[in-house]
Amino acid sequence: MNAPLSATPRPIAYPSLVEDQRIHGSVYTDPAIFADEIDRIFSRGWVFLAHESEIPNPGDFVTRKLGLQSVIVTRDAAGGFHSLYNRCPHRGAVVCQAEAGHRRSLTCPYHGWTFAMDGALMGVPAPGAYEGLSAQPAGLAPIARLDSYGGFIFGSLGADGPNLTTHLGKAVEWIDQLCGLSPTGRIRLSAGWMKHKMRCNWKMIVENQVDGYHAPMVHGSLLAANETFASVRDRKDSSPTRVHDVGLGHTDIDHATDYRTTPDRLFRWTGGVPEAKLPNYVAAMRESYGEADARRRLIDGPPHSMLFPNISLAEMNIMVIQPISPTETIHYSTPVLLEGAEEMNARTMRRCEGALGPAGFLIADDAEIAELNQLGVANLEPEWILLNRGLASEVVDAEGVRTAGLMDETSQRGFWRHYRDVMSAVGGA
Amino acid sequence: MTVQTLQPSVAIDHDAIAQFLYREARFADEHRYDDWEALWADEALYWVPIGEDPDPATRISYIYDNRARLASRIRQLKTGRRHSQEPASGLRRLISNIEIETRGEEIVTRSNFILVESRRGALITWAGQAEHRLRKAGGDFRISAKTVRLVNSDEPISNLAFLI
Ligand code: FES
Ligand SMILES: [Fe+2]
Repeated sequence: MNAPLSATPRPIAYPSLVEDQRIHGSVYTDPAIFADEIDRIFSRGWVFLAHESEIPNPGDFVTRKLGLQSVIVTRDAAGGFHSLYNRCPHRGAVVCQAEAGHRRSLTCPYHGWTFAMDGALMGVPAPGAYEGLSAQPAGLAPIARLDSYGGFIFGSLGADGPNLTTHLGKAVEWIDQLCGLSPTGRIRLSAGWMKHKMRCNWKMIVENQVDGYHAPMVHGSLLAANETFASVRDRKDSSPTRVHDVGLGHTDIDHATDYRTTPDRLFRWTGGVPEAKLPNYVAAMRESYGEADARRRLIDGPPHSMLFPNISLAEMNIMVIQPISPTETIHYSTPVLLEGAEEMNARTMRRCEGALGPAGFLIADDAEIAELNQLGVANLEPEWILLNRGLASEVVDAEGVRTAGLMDETSQRGFWRHYRDVMSAVGGA
Repeated sequence: MTVQTLQPSVAIDHDAIAQFLYREARFADEHRYDDWEALWADEALYWVPIGEDPDPATRISYIYDNRARLASRIRQLKTGRRHSQEPASGLRRLISNIEIETRGEEIVTRSNFILVESRRGALITWAGQAEHRLRKAGGDFRISAKTVRLVNSDEPISNLAFLI
């Protein structure tokens, strides 16, 4: 039985809440668990901050959340990347209110201390009063670690722990797969972000991103209203699509295993558009990769994956899941634009708007269900959430990658297995 | 009241235009999907941008529906299984500050709105400016474009599955 009004005992024994086949409902509601997550996962672990293409030029910056911290991600005069706490070293004011922009320097709105884009202090008004003092004015504080892969910049507030490559593990293959849809191997996230407020725990959305079971139910209205969406992929239990848990909490729904069953058709991943409608894109891909390899890329399409903890390479979109409180989350979405494929990009923009965000034909309904899910787990019985679907048919290969059918909960189990490791580890992520 | 404007070819009746905007708002508020859709021209754009005057070719919008997509949106709502509007939100909006100008054959109106949405125990306030492009059609009008500029389009917003 739950003890409804008593708090979870401290320290929290995560293995007793996150079992192999079931999850205790309190992990979605308990403020102490949320605080632990912000510390262990979203502060000490690696978290996506920005894509290099969002700050292409010296002086460009964006402000982002790393856990609950506001940080400024900048490009300095030499083109180098920095991530700085958004807090003035003088008396603590937020230095940068703008979400994005281009500046020669950053000036604090309170007393006017000015910082270079790498955070170094450039000047303070009336500096004479600091002469002879031991505590001298200093610059903006950098976060502990910053690194990038495939243009995706990640940060961590913790000085220790695995490096980014170790954290990403096999997920780098999905980043490569996505970038490899561009004839130049580079993508751009330059269209801005939709910001979707959801009244649910962040993990509801993570689990849903790689849930192959819900589409007929949650997205039935779209399947009925728009035949294109219905016809491009097989959404039945018998679908050739596989789900994978590739370890370290990274999981995917591999639609390519379905698309490869129709090797005569390219572009099933973008509404099954006829090849003849994207002639320049197809030609550029052939030019870059050769006939056979270009064809393979255009059959397979982009990954549909969820990288631990909160960035999803969601086909031709990037989606980021930002925790706000145990019951509030913001879901950010932006289309993936391919360098050297403008013809494709126009299409991707409009498909992103159609499917995603608060008005999207898909995600509005996912958001609704996530909110119902959150309301549901606030009710106390039965206190466990079941995650054992498809367990018996799961196949584990020599490298530990787990594979199962489209509608199996292998992907959710993969997330939770790593979650439990991180939350239980001595010293955090 | 009939006002003769600088373009003598288009005489605009401010009251009739205001009545049209109120009717469109009422159909949206009352989820009268077919009636609402019937107000639109055959070629149309229904746009909810993010930020100030973005270029829709390079910046993502919350909604950028051409006429076909607008029809899809309505079909989806009418399935009765669009979960984000099942049950439908309680909606009422006030429209004010209507300004009207003509550009050739087209009538362009800008108006402010405050919309209150009731959804599962919460009252959510939406506010902004709507810009309509209208064409005369018989004694009535048809919408060729509607742009809704939310005051908080830069901030996170909750589900916008109803018609705004
Ligand atoms: S708080 Fe920033 S200059 Fe004083
Ligand atoms: Fe979904």
